[in-house]
Amino acid sequence: MKYGKTAMKLRVGLYALLSLAFVTVITSSAAFAQENGEPVCIECHAKMPEKYSEPVKLWRGSIHAENGIYCNGCHGGDPKDAVNAMSPARGFLGAPKEPAIPAFCGRCHVGVMNDYLASAHGRMLGKGGPTCVTCHGNHQVVKASLDLINEKSCSRCHSYERAALIRDAMKETETTIVAIDGRISVFKKIGTDTDKLEKELFAVRNSFHSLFHNVNVELVKKESAWIQGDLKKIRVVLDKLDDARQKRKIAGAAVVSLMLLIALVLHLLRKTFD
Amino acid sequence: MDSNSSRRTFLGICLGGLGAIAAAAVSWPLFRYLAPGSGSETAGKVVIAAADVREGEAKFFEFAGSSAVLVRKRGGDLFAFSAVCTHLGCIVQWEKDKQDFLCPCHAGHYSSDGVVTAGPPPKPLKKLPFAVTAGNVTVG
Repeated sequence: MKYGKTAMKLRVGLYALLSLAFVTVITSSAAFAQENGEPVCIECHAKMPEKYSEPVKLWRGSIHAENGIYCNGCHGGDPKDAVNAMSPARGFLGAPKEPAIPAFCGRCHVGVMNDYLASAHGRMLGKGGPTCVTCHGNHQVVKASLDLINEKSCSRCHSYERAALIRDAMKETETTIVAIDGRISVFKKIGTDTDKLEKELFAVRNSFHSLFHNVNVELVKKESAWIQGDLKKIRVVLDKLDDARQKRKIAGAAVVSLMLLIALVLHLLRKTFD
Repeated sequence: MDSNSSRRTFLGICLGGLGAIAAAAVSWPLFRYLAPGSGSETAGKVVIAAADVREGEAKFFEFAGSSAVLVRKRGGDLFAFSAVCTHLGCIVQWEKDKQDFLCPCHAGHYSSDGVVTAGPPPKPLKKLPFAVTAGNVTVG
């Protein structure tokens, strides 16, 4: 009996110790994660078996990670409290069931969701049709490009023929967008304030990429015309910047030449006093 | 000696000329910076018939090369804003039923006063100056 009581006390002590250790690990992990500016979800999940840690690895290569959108941005929960991070009371949503995926992503991507829901893809939601993650993936969502429309991906559900037509219709405008993006990046690297241009291009690109979600070739062709018009406006600004840069180079060369000339004249002038 | 003196005078004139050009080269950018801008950003006023903007509705239009919106709140107050979302530059939409602006790109919400009510926009919508005269709204 006495032995039983001692064993009981030992067991209680052990549980208390384990609980303390668990809380310590969780809170120290949380503190570490907070120091790094990342939510506690990442700190815990990164150390878990592959099934639970893989989303973290995938997310790190995503456009969401690039723009500081963490787990809680989509899944909710408390990113600062490891113990209650996944508590529904703190707004944790978990992973949505398939028919709920568009609404899940659409909390932020409203325009794209509306286009998708009105499309042939959206009308098949819950009936075997694709959702956002079918084409974009879930955790490793990358910047949308025409590469997403490819035979391998589309052929999982239907023939590639129609998708190829849409891709072809979008190709010219997409090429222009990529080229303009490249030019803006060059100006940004040399210190030009490109914020306004970047925003303008983002808005145009977003409208253009939203178009695909309609899965309507005629609409893509029709809308591409005004999108090209908007891109032309950005190109005109970039051309002006190019022109100013060229003029600045010439002016710089002229100033250097002038200074060299002044130095030469001064040298000759000094020699007249020798 | 004479030759040295005339050379010195000639070089002095050259130096004066070059100095004047250098001074002009330094002054020109300073003048350009201080002089009033060409006004391309503010040029062009847009006139809209006040009756075209009904109570609780919004009218989008082009202003200074960008999208703008005139909104008449329920109650009659009129506002003019740039329709460019302050987050990443998408064009906001007017949600008549909710009486607010929605950015379709990342779900930024603005009240009918242009104030951010939800989502990622860092700043309110930019207000545009306007005047109402003889049944017309002049923006700009």
